[in-house]
Amino acid sequence: MSRRILVVDDESHILHVLSLKLRNSGFIVDTAVDGEDAMHQLASAQPDLVITDLQMPYVNGIELCRSLLSDAATADIPVIILTARGYALGSEAASLSNVRKVVNKPFSPRTILEQVRRVLGIDTDIMERAA
Amino acid sequence: MQTLMRSILGGVALGALSLTSGLATMFAANVIGLTADPWLVVIGAVLFTSMVAAVSFMSMNRAMMRLRAELEDHGSTPSGQGPRWLRSVLRTMMEYQVRHRQAEAAWRTRQRELEINAKMAIGGQRQAEAVLGVMDEAVVVCNAFREITLVNAAAGAMLGCHPADAVGKPMAEVIDDSMVRRIMQETLEAGVGVDPRRCELTLHGARGESACEIVSACVPDDRGRTAAVVTVLHDLSREREISQLKSEFVSKASHELRTPLSSMQAYVELLVDGEANDEATRREFYEIIQAETERLSRLVDNMLNISRIEAGIIEIDRSEVDIRELVESAVRTMEPQARSRRIDLHTEIAPLGATVDGDADMLCQVVVNLLSNAVKYTPEGGRVTVSVDSDTLTRSVHVAVSDTGLGIAPADAEHVFEKFYRVENYKRVAKGTGLGLNLCRHIIETVHRGQIGLESTIGMGSRFWFTVPMAQTPAKLAA
Repeated sequence: MSRRILVVDDESHILHVLSLKLRNSGFIVDTAVDGEDAMHQLASAQPDLVITDLQMPYVNGIELCRSLLSDAATADIPVIILTARGYALGSEAASLSNVRKVVNKPFSPRTILEQVRRVLGIDTDIMERAA
Repeated sequence: MQTLMRSILGGVALGALSLTSGLATMFAANVIGLTADPWLVVIGAVLFTSMVAAVSFMSMNRAMMRLRAELEDHGSTPSGQGPRWLRSVLRTMMEYQVRHRQAEAAWRTRQRELEINAKMAIGGQRQAEAVLGVMDEAVVVCNAFREITLVNAAAGAMLGCHPADAVGKPMAEVIDDSMVRRIMQETLEAGVGVDPRRCELTLHGARGESACEIVSACVPDDRGRTAAVVTVLHDLSREREISQLKSEFVSKASHELRTPLSSMQAYVELLVDGEANDEATRREFYEIIQAETERLSRLVDNMLNISRIEAGIIEIDRSEVDIRELVESAVRTMEPQARSRRIDLHTEIAPLGATVDGDADMLCQVVVNLLSNAVKYTPEGGRVTVSVDSDTLTRSVHVAVSDTGLGIAPADAEHVFEKFYRVENYKRVAKGTGLGLNLCRHIIETVHRGQIGLESTIGMGSRFWFTVPMAQTPAKLAA
């Protein structure tokens, strides 16, 4: 069964690139243009993983993570944060138990795919053999 | 003078000696009976005494005359003529006179030196007072008895006291901040020969709380004891503010640079990994990479231009620029973009002279930036109008770019000309560098001494405008 991933970023190119990479690797991908849009989508379909940008209008990545934690239905969804800040998020991300990984921009789609599989506990070797 | 008296006394003594010797001759002749007539003896003695006295008088008089002549002649040295004893007297007198003149000259020189030193000391003191007066750092000096002896203007403002009133008062009366008092007290107790105390603290002064660096040191007297404690307070608020702004700028610049770079890197990797299955997808990826490269290039150019203008090192190519022609050229540049979004782009140019003394390329960049924003953030089918007008009263040229777009809220309107400020609503509509309007402001206000502004109502569109001074006419320039 394919895993569902929600990608959240206000940069349309990032949404495009990650969707393509993840879909080509067998994932079902939903996209949201900011945190507010993501929260609307979460109400209808719950993903297995959320990849979110940090700096977005209306609701930023940290606020989205807090929102996920505040609801029992979404509290266990793991999150990968993408950031263009250029330095560690430090205590902000560390205080959020659902944040599994922070990736700095510019990033490699290959690395994101690898992180997604690791967080979801998908055996990379099996996937490669299957391919 | 002593020598002169000695020579006169010598003459008098010679006269007395001659008189005594005359009387003695008379007495001897009388006793031994050399003559029968005592009157002859008396007359002889008188004549002899007179002769000796006359010779003595003449000799003394001649000496006196020469002495007088030589004294009157200040430049001469004692001559080799005259009696030896008198030459000696005169030489001694002249030596004393020369020494006296030398001593007098030395004294006058010393007096002049002291006067110069006093003037220099007063000048130095005034200079030091002037330096202390204009210093940004607060300087407080107290003596060994903990009395304030100096407070400069900055310290007065920082501590909330008048510098002149503070002098002579106890330290505790003038300085409210207990930490500053404690540091001064400890410096005083530690005495001389100890390194200056230096630390950072939060000062509770007349202007509220402020971060300060404090340096306190003892000033020794000529015996090496503590004469005073000098304390300098350096307000760190401005430095902290600048540091914060720099940090924010680097963070925002880093974010803005990484965003197009992320897209470029990701699309290149997808192409390398063969994720684009057909030629149309590959072409789409190439075009995205090209557009993001141009975006990155524009961003870097804008950052460098702003930085050059702020540093005052940008090259300005000034000439008489006809704003009407410049606006028409900018409109022609933007027409394809406007047409692609079905936006009606038109001009309203007043038929008056609109020549300014400025850099044509920079002014054109401002008009293109304003037009580009208007076209980007106006919904398809909207209208963008550029107007040019001139005001002969204020001698300025006005340019305005109006649109029928989304409009900007007053809270955002205050910040749109700041670096990297992006209106949240607009991020979804189009991409930008966050530096275009900041560059416009620098070009208009810093380079051309003009003004730039914005009038906007949410849902009713925006009107960005700028004014620049008209060029001086040749007749006015000649006048």
